[in-house]
Amino acid sequence: MTELTYLEAISDALRVALATDERVVLLGEDIGAFGGAFKVTAGLQREFGAQRVIDTPISEEAIIGGAVGAAIVGMRPVCEMQFADFVACGFDQLVNVAGKLHWRLGLAAPIVVRLPSGGGVSGGPFHSQSPEAWFMHAPGLKVFAPSSAHDAKGLLLAAIADPNPVVFLEHKYLYRRVRGEVPEGAYETPQTAQTVREGDDLVVIAYGAMVHAAVAAAAEIEEASVRVLDLRTLVPLDERAILDAVRDCAKVVVVDEANYTCAPGAQVASLIAQYGYGDLDGPVVRVATPDAPIPFAPALERAALPGSDRIRDACRELLAY
Amino acid sequence: MAGGERLLEIVMPQLGITVTEGTLVGWHKQPGDRVEPDEAICDVSSDKVDSEVPAPAAGRITELIVAVGETVEVGTVIAMMEADQAPAQGVPSPVAVAPGGERDAAPPAPRDAAGRGSAERHSPVVVRLAAELGVALERVVGSGRDGRVRREDVLAAAEQTAPAPAPAEESVYTPPPPGALSRMRRSIGEHMKRSLSTAATVTSWIEVDFSAVEARRRELGVTALPIVAAATIETLAQFGELNAWLEGERYTRHTEVNLGIAVSLGTEGLIVPVVRAAQTLGVTELAERIADLAARARAGTLSPDEVRDGTFTLTNPGQFGTFMATPVINQPQVAILDTEAIVRRPVVVTADGAETIAIRPICVLGLSWDHRALDGVVAARFLAALRERLQS
Repeated sequence: MTELTYLEAISDALRVALATDERVVLLGEDIGAFGGAFKVTAGLQREFGAQRVIDTPISEEAIIGGAVGAAIVGMRPVCEMQFADFVACGFDQLVNVAGKLHWRLGLAAPIVVRLPSGGGVSGGPFHSQSPEAWFMHAPGLKVFAPSSAHDAKGLLLAAIADPNPVVFLEHKYLYRRVRGEVPEGAYETPQTAQTVREGDDLVVIAYGAMVHAAVAAAAEIEEASVRVLDLRTLVPLDERAILDAVRDCAKVVVVDEANYTCAPGAQVASLIAQYGYGDLDGPVVRVATPDAPIPFAPALERAALPGSDRIRDACRELLAY
Repeated sequence: MAGGERLLEIVMPQLGITVTEGTLVGWHKQPGDRVEPDEAICDVSSDKVDSEVPAPAAGRITELIVAVGETVEVGTVIAMMEADQAPAQGVPSPVAVAPGGERDAAPPAPRDAAGRGSAERHSPVVVRLAAELGVALERVVGSGRDGRVRREDVLAAAEQTAPAPAPAEESVYTPPPPGALSRMRRSIGEHMKRSLSTAATVTSWIEVDFSAVEARRRELGVTALPIVAAATIETLAQFGELNAWLEGERYTRHTEVNLGIAVSLGTEGLIVPVVRAAQTLGVTELAERIADLAARARAGTLSPDEVRDGTFTLTNPGQFGTFMATPVINQPQVAILDTEAIVRRPVVVTADGAETIAIRPICVLGLSWDHRALDGVVAARFLAALRERLQS
């Protein structure tokens, strides 16, 4: 065990994958000598060579399309988008080509596309988005969104080993703010949800950076015991864990950093409404970012993103119901 | 904007093409209450069909004009409201499509916050736990908002009553608390008593061999009911005395058969939708019309015009095995036909000139008829003719 930051854990996963599996190659803009926009791949080109850590032209479509081709001939490509927002330029290759390859041609497309996502760093509207729901809606793609250093490494290794194309959302706010014990060498985190805080009066369901906001909110509520469920993977969605938590707690707050309409939490709320109805003791409450681009100004961004204050207030309101 | 522009009249709606009046059954709102567009303001009724009157706009109720129980003509003003905006306001302001942040920031606002107190309604888990743990919810004091009973309250109540006798020893039947009859039950009751005190009701029965009916229904893939209905309609053409109304001393025979079919609504009551001009329909069409009316009767979506103007009624409760009944005539009609269970019985038949015992599906048809309008010989001849038709 070593204590690593969330970012170091991702770097470590890439290093382990490159060292143990010769099929793994990394593709991205300036990921070689420069080490990538956030330095996740720093040093990897020197260690593994320019044939395996490949600097690409500035074309997300070419990166993902090239990765699909490499995957078809047996490689395990891992693509880096400089920011999650830029994946829109490669959307067609990811959603229409990679996601449907298995059903159209019976071919596996085991690619991973890493998306530095989320806000909280004054990145403005083009560098702060949480686009996970775009890909949840596209059949054939898996969507991972780890909240801890441990799960960031374990889920990235699981994504590389997975025969399906995986969209890997690494939260840039967590890169250097979250650290934790990370096992050395290879391990895979299961594609299931995890209870990160026990409680039985109310459950907050979250993923990514919102898990930390939810845990902070729960800690402030001394008058009741609030559980926090970290989804970890959005596709597959751990429906059993969600419904079990609802049965135990009867009150639910679902948190998204994504924009409110059709966010992952909307899917969770709909699941609960249909299959957990008989266990509910109050309305399913959602907390999310408004349906607006993320503002650049720090004060406005703080107001837009769901922080622990808003989650805490929503919990208190629902607990009193 | 002047206040007068925003004052809206709420009128008794047209509940069906031929309906001219409606009864106010109850108010959902009181003066001063807020309403949203299409929210129910009151319940109105014509005959057995109930409807809600929706609010025409968002605003506030200012006056209730018609009292509960009063019957008024269609178009009568029953209440007044003040709308938030004058009608035909033009383009909605862009605020309506503003980002959705407010929605999730708002406190949980269950619908019952708008009207009835939330203490009257229970969440799914409260209802389920109360049933599982044998907790009487009306005795639980709620600790939630506005006295709402919460899951914790049910669990606490169950713990308190735990030393009491085990629920297993109690009867599984918990009678509901005494209460007033539903409006539908009252209406059926009044109708039945009026019929019995008005008509001189006599019931005649005849046994019919349903072998031919059974063969026919297998051939057409329908139930016996539309076949009996078709034969009844054909027979009524010969016995116009039975396809008639008697209102006081006024006796009206009808050329068209508007056939009423009694449809049970379970414990709620029953309703008699009408197949209009049924003499123009074949067995398959009758089967479709009856199935459609019955389905919509159970769904509560019949229009008032579909339960009016019946000239003869068919009732068909035999599915549970009863073989005889004395149905009550649906006023102002003069007769009602009852078909009961089809039972396989030993009967004497003649085969090759010799009598023998055979097993045949037998159904008893009962005709209740009004001795004021006709005599027994008409009823007997009608039943004999109907039997002839069903057996051939």
